[in-house]
Amino acid sequence: MSLADALFGAFTLPFMARALVVMLVLSVIAGVVGVLVNLRSLEFITDGLTHAVFPGLAVGLAVGGASGVLPGAAVAALIGAVLLTWLMRSGIASDAGIAVVLTAAFSVGVIVVSKSDDYAGALEELLFGRVLTIPPSDVVPLVMVSAIALLLVALTAKQQVFRAFDAAGSRAAGNSAFALDLTLNVAVALVVVAGASTVGSLLVLALLVVPGAVARLLTGRLWLLFPLAGLFAALASWFGLAAGFAASVGAGIDLPAGSTIVAVFVLAYGVVLLGRLVRDAAVRRAASRDASPPTSSIPAAGERVA
Amino acid sequence: MTYFERAMLAAIVIGAVGGFVGCLVVLRKRTFFAQALTHGTYPGAVAAAALGVSVPLGAAAASVVLVLVMTGIARVRNQGAQVAAGIVLTGGFAAGAILAAVVPSLPVQPESLLVGSILTVTDGDILLAAAVGVVALALVLLFGRSIVFSTFDQGGFRAAGYREWPIELLVLGLTAATVVSALPAVGAILAIALIAAPAAAARIVTSTYRGMLVVAPVVGAASGVLGVLASRAFAIAAGPAIVLTATAFLVIALGGSKLRALPWRASAIPVETAEDARTA
Repeated sequence: MSLADALFGAFTLPFMARALVVMLVLSVIAGVVGVLVNLRSLEFITDGLTHAVFPGLAVGLAVGGASGVLPGAAVAALIGAVLLTWLMRSGIASDAGIAVVLTAAFSVGVIVVSKSDDYAGALEELLFGRVLTIPPSDVVPLVMVSAIALLLVALTAKQQVFRAFDAAGSRAAGNSAFALDLTLNVAVALVVVAGASTVGSLLVLALLVVPGAVARLLTGRLWLLFPLAGLFAALASWFGLAAGFAASVGAGIDLPAGSTIVAVFVLAYGVVLLGRLVRDAAVRRAASRDASPPTSSIPAAGERVA
Repeated sequence: MTYFERAMLAAIVIGAVGGFVGCLVVLRKRTFFAQALTHGTYPGAVAAAALGVSVPLGAAAASVVLVLVMTGIARVRNQGAQVAAGIVLTGGFAAGAILAAVVPSLPVQPESLLVGSILTVTDGDILLAAAVGVVALALVLLFGRSIVFSTFDQGGFRAAGYREWPIELLVLGLTAATVVSALPAVGAILAIALIAAPAAAARIVTSTYRGMLVVAPVVGAASGVLGVLASRAFAIAAGPAIVLTATAFLVIALGGSKLRALPWRASAIPVETAEDARTA
């Protein structure tokens, strides 16, 4: 199988095209929301939300079958977002408390799933997703859910950034901290809902965390973060899907699609991180070369120019 | 020993060790780090199961690599500890899922590594957890003073001329060892509850560091026992049952402290009345 086949030819298949559309929409929006998650250091809360959504998925699956997953997850996510916002603000729960509450939610989900007939299969699908078997009727709801998340973030982006960098100033300027936190948490929760039914509830965290982190490595300019994160997310999900397809069809290795996409995300992060470290080291060396002559001796006239 | 008695013993030992080490994790606010560790060890466990070596060994090897990667990423500018944990966590799960899919005949079900299966623990697993507990106890007895100092007054600890990384390394190592030893019983996803819940509950009911180190293991062991019993009584999975029991302890502790804070005795407010003066 040629490279062009994997990168372009594969997506002429209807199920691959569907996966690509959903993944592109989802990952770009997750990337944009993820920048705010990164700036606010909300990674732990986000991880909590991915766990909180799990019982919703499980109950939805048990009650309504495959079509019940999305509504179930949405309800659980909204409850989780409100609860977490409240826990964060009231200060009655520390990091540990949040971890416990959300693992408990997860346990409820596991128990619900364990009561179903196909325990192992259902659990695996909920945890690690079903990118390639998204039913056509699910595409529009998934895109809608993601779009609402994007809308919430886009409408409050300026206030969110203000709050991220100067919480007291933001409050003094008349922005309600509770409303802003709730909006962001609901947006994250909606992305988690859409992601949980595609790449699975364990892996959706990567879509939210990695693009923002990559963007922070690439630039120091604030408003460049959002397009960079979106671009990175889109490219990584495209390459991830293509890599999974090439390995499964071309090489006969049966890679799970969701995990492959996330692996590509994390590998790409590693590459960018290495590049950044190398560049930083080069800059430091150059700086120390510039700074060292005065400490050693009086520099020769030509040395500074070089 | 029947399999059920062995499960009970495992629940007691693992619950107690989780509670003990959990105190350090909770007080030093390393919960998300521990969470990333529990999730990240999953590929190590899968790889070990595939290679046929012991699962805790693979998980331990994975956790050493993870600690190094996380401390490395956390030191990069603009990245930080939370980003490091998030990346390690999801990367670990993805790698584990890919491994589980690529290796054709895995001797254990990958699900049992995720949510645990306490009914199939071996004597070796229990011994490992007990050994971790003994080591943790010894280390806390030896270095307790330094650990407390660096936990509650980081700046003072540094200013007093101590170096911080040995203590940090000690706590991280203990956390990793606890996670690894809890893996067979409650699995990669749920282990964090066994570490965080008893310690958080103990923190609410006691006010001293030493008291917490006593109460938390008791709560942990009790959660283990009650969880296993509940799992048999209601025919539900044991790992989630243990986690929910531990959570119930935390909720009770929280509720109790909230109730105690209510003004129960109206007479506590000094009001000078003729009635008061007569009854006093």
